[in-house]
Amino acid sequence: MALRLSTSLLSQLSRVGRLQGRAVSTSAVRYVDDLTVKQVEPKDTKSILASEEVQHQKAISGYITIDTPVDITPISGVPEEHIKTRRVVIKLPSKNAMQWRLFFDERERWENPLMGWSSTADPLSNIQVDFSSQEDAIAFCDKNGWEWTVVDPPVKPPRVKNYGANFSWNKRTRRSTK
Amino acid sequence: MASRLARSTVRQVKPLLSIDQGEARKRVLNLYKAWYRQIPYIVVDYDLPKSKEQCRQKLREEFEKHRHVQDIRTVDMLVIKGQMELKETVEIWKQKHGLMAYWRDSVEPRPKDFLSKFLDGHE
Repeated sequence: MALRLSTSLLSQLSRVGRLQGRAVSTSAVRYVDDLTVKQVEPKDTKSILASEEVQHQKAISGYITIDTPVDITPISGVPEEHIKTRRVVIKLPSKNAMQWRLFFDERERWENPLMGWSSTADPLSNIQVDFSSQEDAIAFCDKNGWEWTVVDPPVKPPRVKNYGANFSWNKRTRRSTK
Repeated sequence: MASRLARSTVRQVKPLLSIDQGEARKRVLNLYKAWYRQIPYIVVDYDLPKSKEQCRQKLREEFEKHRHVQDIRTVDMLVIKGQMELKETVEIWKQKHGLMAYWRDSVEPRPKDFLSKFLDGHE
């Protein structure tokens, strides 16, 4: 009897001691971790993103293949009347020019009555864009939706320059005014 | 004089947002839906003298305007611009007349007869 009492006392005491350290649960059901089921391993962000986003990021940083012509007219902000109605001549501005230049068709100009300076209402009148090659100029016009014409520089036959021609009887090389 | 060439060759370019036509299309549809769902609130917020149906018709018109665009990058840029526009509208950074500009004719008719040309200051 005494022994029983002591054991129950002891167990009660130990229970009290345990209760101090723990929160008291009022529920009747006890939950125990089921160790037979394997828990889900926490994934690192890299492996989660690797599926789609990272692939897309990788694809975006590379190149894509397109076969459609480049057309920036919907996003360039140029008004429609200066896209559809403009004509561009692509030519070399002078004989020994290294650059091809765009020449837009002339639009309305007038003399300003105040100072007599010339005025224009054409936003493209003062544009001077030089290109190192004819193809670049053509590509630029195509991209901007302008109709273009290339004027090749006139080819002149080389002038014959020899000393004897100065004394020729049938060429007009002898000048009385010299 | 050089003649006009058909200049559409297969080539490699840097993408903007989308990597293929399908993705670009998805982005466009998303933007359209976002605008479509926002329209009732826009009409109320800005007190527009237009109905929901009229706004939705105008929305459709604005999208149809660029139906012919083929280049993926141009489509992407248009989507970006559309998103910016939507953001500005939703946050009420715009004003009423800014939205009503969608219904304004962009081209002022040029004077035809002599007197109105003269009064307009042309020729």
